[in-house]
Amino acid sequence: MSEILEKLFECVEFGKINAASPYPPQLRGQDGASEYTQKALAEGFSPAEIMDTALIPAMTKVGQKFSENKIFVPQMLLSAKAMNAALVYIKPYFSSGEIRRKGTFIMGTVNGDLHDIGKNLVCMMVEGAGWDVIDLGVDVGPEKFVESVRQHPDAYVGLSALLTTTMPNMKTIIDAVRAVSPSTRFIVGGAPVSADFAASIGADAYADNPQQDVEALDRFLQERA
Amino acid sequence: MRTHRVAAVPIMTHPGIELIGKTVRDAVTDGQVHFQAVKKLSEVYPSAACTTIMDLTVEAEAFGAPVNMPENEIPTVYGRLVGDADGVASLQVPDLTAGRVPQYLLANRLCAQAITDRPVFGGCIGPFSLAGRLYDMSEIMMAIYIEPDTISLLLDKCTRFIMQYCQAIKEAGSAGVVMAEPAAGLLSDEDSVLFSTKYVKRVVEAVQDDSFTVILHNCGNTGHCTRSMVESGARALHFGNRADMPRIIAEVPDYVVVMGNIDPVGVFKQADSQEVGLRTSELLRQMSGHSNFVVSSGCDLPPLVPESNIKAFFQAVDEFNEQV
Repeated sequence: MSEILEKLFECVEFGKINAASPYPPQLRGQDGASEYTQKALAEGFSPAEIMDTALIPAMTKVGQKFSENKIFVPQMLLSAKAMNAALVYIKPYFSSGEIRRKGTFIMGTVNGDLHDIGKNLVCMMVEGAGWDVIDLGVDVGPEKFVESVRQHPDAYVGLSALLTTTMPNMKTIIDAVRAVSPSTRFIVGGAPVSADFAASIGADAYADNPQQDVEALDRFLQERA
Repeated sequence: MRTHRVAAVPIMTHPGIELIGKTVRDAVTDGQVHFQAVKKLSEVYPSAACTTIMDLTVEAEAFGAPVNMPENEIPTVYGRLVGDADGVASLQVPDLTAGRVPQYLLANRLCAQAITDRPVFGGCIGPFSLAGRLYDMSEIMMAIYIEPDTISLLLDKCTRFIMQYCQAIKEAGSAGVVMAEPAAGLLSDEDSVLFSTKYVKRVVEAVQDDSFTVILHNCGNTGHCTRSMVESGARALHFGNRADMPRIIAEVPDYVVVMGNIDPVGVFKQADSQEVGLRTSELLRQMSGHSNFVVSSGCDLPPLVPESNIKAFFQAVDEFNEQV
C-alpha cells in the first residue's frame, strides 16, 4: 500500500478526523482523514482505490477490534467520524457509478424507542463497509419502513430497540414490510434482544454488535448471488 | 452441605405497579402510587430488601431535559439539552424541588416509614450516564477525547446534583441507594475510571456510612471494567446479565457485596418458570463459595414479567438455602 493510503488507513483506525482534532494523542498535530483523502485524490488515486484499499479495510479492522473488546464505543465512534470526514470527498463519486456500492441498508430504532447510540454505530459501520445507508432515525413506525422499502425494494433492513416494551414493535414492522415485500431480509439488535427472540419474530439475523451487522449483510449478499 | 444462606434482592418495581393496578406513568409521577407499589411487593415477595423505581430520567428532567412519558413504558429523555462549552458553562445545577424529584423523595420517605422488616434502597443515576443524557450519548462518547474540559465541567455539575439528591434520599430514611451507571459500561476500564469512577467516588465518600450503602449498578460491564467499579468505594456492586459472575467475583474484594445477574428479559420475562428456577439454581451453585454474593436480577425487571417466574426465582433461592 502506498504511504498516503497507509496514513489514511491509520487515521480511520485510530479516529484521527482532521488536522485540528486533538485525538488520538499519538497523531496530534498531524493531518487527519480529511486531509489525507484530499491529498490522495490530488495525487491521482481513484476513489475506488481509496475506498477498497484504505477506508473499508480500516473500518473492518475497527469492527474486529470492537468485537474483541480491544476498543470501546468512544474509539469506534471516532473512527466512524474519521471515515465520514473522508467520505465527504468520496461520496460525489458514488452517484457517478465510479464506486460500486454493495447495496442499500435501511436502519431505524423502532417506534416508541428514542435510543440511538446502537443505531448510529451500526449505520456508521455499515456505511464504512461499503453500503449505502438510509438512516430513518428513532421512533420509526411500520409505515415509514414500508415506504422506504417501496422506494428501495432490494434493500436490507435493520431494526434496533433498547426497551423491552418496544421489542414487540420489531415484529409489527417485519410483518408490515413483508406484507408488501415478502423477500425483504431483516437484522435485529439492541440490548434486550437475543438470537432466540430474533428467530421468534421472523428476523433473518441477530447482531450482537455492529460488526455482526456487516457480516450478516455480506452473508445475505453471497446468498443472493 | 452449603455453609451460608444467600439473600435475594431482585431489582423490581414494575411487578408492584401491576399488582396495584396502576400505570407506569402513575407511579413515576406520583410518590404515593410509587410507594404503594413498593409496599405491595414487600408484602408479596420475600425479597431481602426493597428498591424504589430505577428511573433514569428524573435527574435529567430536573436539569431541564425533555422527557417522553408513555402510559406503560419506562420514561426516556429525548433531544439534547447542552451541546457545547457555553451551554455547559451556563447550565444550572437544579435544587431538589425541580421536576419529579419531590415525588421520588416522597416515595423514599413513605417506603422507609412503612417498610420496617427489611431495608429500602432508593435509586439514582450515575454521573456519566446523566451527563450522557444531557449532552447526547453518542456525542459525549467522542467529546471525552475532543473536549475533555467541557465534559469534566458537565460531570462536576452532574455529580453535585446527584450528591445532594443522595443526601436527601438518606435523610428520607433509606438504607442506601442503587446508583445506575450503565453508560460507563460502554467505556474501557481506564476511561471508566476517569469519566465515571472519579465522580461516583465523590458521591460515595459524601453519603456512604454505617447506615447508608451505595450499590453501584453497571449492566454495561461485560467484565471489562470491574476494576473501575471496585475503585468507586461502593460497598456493593451490581452486575448485568452479560457478566460472567464467577469471573467477576474473583476480581472483587470479599468485603464488597457482589449482586447479580439473572437476565431480566431473556429469563425473567420470556422464559417459563421452570427455566427461571433452573437458571437461578445454577447461578447459586456457581457462586456457592462466596459469602459476599447476593442473587439478583441483571437489571430492573421490565413491565409484564409473569408472577409465576418471580415466584420460581424465590423458590429456587429457598431450596438452595434449605441445604444450609
